[in-house]
Amino acid sequence: MTSIGPDESIWHYDGASATRHYPRIAWTADGFTLHWAGGESGPHHWGDLVPVGGMGAQSLYGLRGAPGWRLGFAGPPPEDFAIHLPLPARYGRWIDRIGLWPAIALFGVLAAATVFVVLRAPQWIAPYIPYSWEERLGDAMIGDFGGRLCETPASRAAIARLQAQLGDDVRIRRIDVANIDMVNAVALPGGRILLFNGLLKEARSPDEVAGVLAHEIGHVRHRDTLTALVRQLGLSVVLGGFNGQVGSAVNGLLALSYSRDAERAADAYSIGRLRASDISPLPTAAFFDRIGKLSGGERMERATSWMASHPVSAERKAAFTRSAVKDHAYRPALSAAQWRALVDACKNDPDAKKGFGLF
Amino acid sequence: MDGSGTRAFGFTGTWRDYAPIAFTNLLLTIVTLGIYRFWATTRTRRYLWSRTRFIDEPLEWSGTGLELFIGFVLVLVLFLIPFVFLQFGVQALIFQGYAGLAIGFGALAIFLLFYLSGVALFRMLRYRLSRTWWHGIRGGSDDKGWRYGWSYLWRNIVAMIPLYLLVPWAMTSLWNDRWNAMSFGPHPFRAAALAGDIYKRFLLFYLVPFLLVIGVIVVGVSAMPMMMDPTADPGRPPAGLWALLAVVVVAVYGVLPLIALIFYAKYMRVAIGALSLSTLDFSFDARSRDWLLLILGDIALVVCTLGIGWVFLSYRHWKFFVTHLDASGEISLSALTQSTTAAPGQGEGLADAFDIGAI
Repeated sequence: MTSIGPDESIWHYDGASATRHYPRIAWTADGFTLHWAGGESGPHHWGDLVPVGGMGAQSLYGLRGAPGWRLGFAGPPPEDFAIHLPLPARYGRWIDRIGLWPAIALFGVLAAATVFVVLRAPQWIAPYIPYSWEERLGDAMIGDFGGRLCETPASRAAIARLQAQLGDDVRIRRIDVANIDMVNAVALPGGRILLFNGLLKEARSPDEVAGVLAHEIGHVRHRDTLTALVRQLGLSVVLGGFNGQVGSAVNGLLALSYSRDAERAADAYSIGRLRASDISPLPTAAFFDRIGKLSGGERMERATSWMASHPVSAERKAAFTRSAVKDHAYRPALSAAQWRALVDACKNDPDAKKGFGLF
Repeated sequence: MDGSGTRAFGFTGTWRDYAPIAFTNLLLTIVTLGIYRFWATTRTRRYLWSRTRFIDEPLEWSGTGLELFIGFVLVLVLFLIPFVFLQFGVQALIFQGYAGLAIGFGALAIFLLFYLSGVALFRMLRYRLSRTWWHGIRGGSDDKGWRYGWSYLWRNIVAMIPLYLLVPWAMTSLWNDRWNAMSFGPHPFRAAALAGDIYKRFLLFYLVPFLLVIGVIVVGVSAMPMMMDPTADPGRPPAGLWALLAVVVVAVYGVLPLIALIFYAKYMRVAIGALSLSTLDFSFDARSRDWLLLILGDIALVVCTLGIGWVFLSYRHWKFFVTHLDASGEISLSALTQSTTAAPGQGEGLADAFDIGAI
């Protein structure tokens, strides 16, 4: 048995009161005991000692299972006592074990792999999600769009005609006209497509609508909407680790609806279907041109295109223009009567509600 | 107090000691996609607490990164993920035309978030006291804070009703509520802050925006003739307009935050000055000028280091807090026995989720 103290450089709190004791420490190979005037603590096993940091040169130890129990040394503990003591934790148990720099390298590789998987995984996962789930999700989200869908027998026939030409082999459940004044069309989960009334009003011919609709059918074919949903879910989980603000900014940038590759693929599908159905791509190109002017012109679009999800209008326009066959007599996508029926679907449907209830 | 004329609280840290902690924390947080931040917070607190002297002994922080991480995961699973689903549900309701129901759910969610942020504030304080040790004794609370959440909700709503005029009452009564539920060792904290003591500063803060608006209108009206000058080039706005704009910018970004600071400085002095623990009376002597220098220093530090100085902000704020904190009266060490409160098992996940700061 060896012992040191008591002196002012070794102190002890018993965890029961704030009174400071100056103990004598007596130890063997198995453990140690503290003795002071009016009390003692121990014997304790070496393995129960926990380093709790301390300040500067001080060393401070706690005891497992005894909250508030402290043994402090002004400076390092005496050498033949110290050999029994555990090393204080620094960065965290795992990192201390492998060292700071190897840990940073390891974590860096893991982080890069995680980001890569999270960005890529949606494309791998989406094809394996059963269509029935996707359809239920889509119906739960949209339903009958709050009665804002416009439909007349003639408009239904016109849409059926477009669908037959542009996506007869694609798993489309419904294509609807929504009574909303936005120049837009969207593909929704579960194989549903909405053409907004604003788009029909803005379009100058059925061929323009055919080009846009074929683009959305391309998204349905590749299940891009589902991929985007899965990606957004994955990102919000991974970036949850960061502070809210950083996370949501990055999330917003990365999750922007579809990836640009998906947009290009949808355009390529659209171009292919227009050609197969003998519909001219030029009206669609002209339409992109007009939309591009609406969104601030080409220079503005180019400046912001590094983060925009849609390829710049100029690029898209060029792709559609290039695909046109010179001096070829194309057929219109719809007859004049069918086109009228489609454009006037909302005017002629007495049940269709307008806009969003909130706005 | 030890009676030697020095202050009860003192800070002995240096930024050179803290820098290795701050930079390794930053590096590890980046390569772990933010997950290390819980361990980073713990390392920072261990350092700051151990360099904070109260009377004769430094404080000790016994919290761990793991428990902060567990607190974060619990909040993620129990609140944030259900909240994401609620958000989806509200969107679906709007799509399907149930705008009223959607607004109802949205309002409910906002109330719930407000309630939870009150609970978070309480539990953060409780957690921090339960992990703060001095002489082998810790603090804590037997209250879990669910009741405080309601108090927080209704007092803040009542404070808003008379055009926010009851905000000082809500602030001081909630401060008292929170601290009166806390204890250190066997002694409960007592807080008796009076709203009357901060009303003058509050009215200053309250009325200055009105005065500013009136001032801008007066300046605007007197500048009218100049703006109506028929000889002026209509393509170039007159100088008067720029001057007016400059006044507005200075008012919004300079004067208003400054007055908010003046109010907050007084609030902290009153609130901490009304706090006692057994026979110890606390006081806080940071004046508006000190706060202003702190904030300007923060801005200069972050700007001059291109943002990297951000890692030193928590160090600066803690040092500021401790150097302005004082206590008077006697404390009997033998009567300061161990706290019997139940220590919470996990960290401040809720406060972390709502991004609530320390003071």
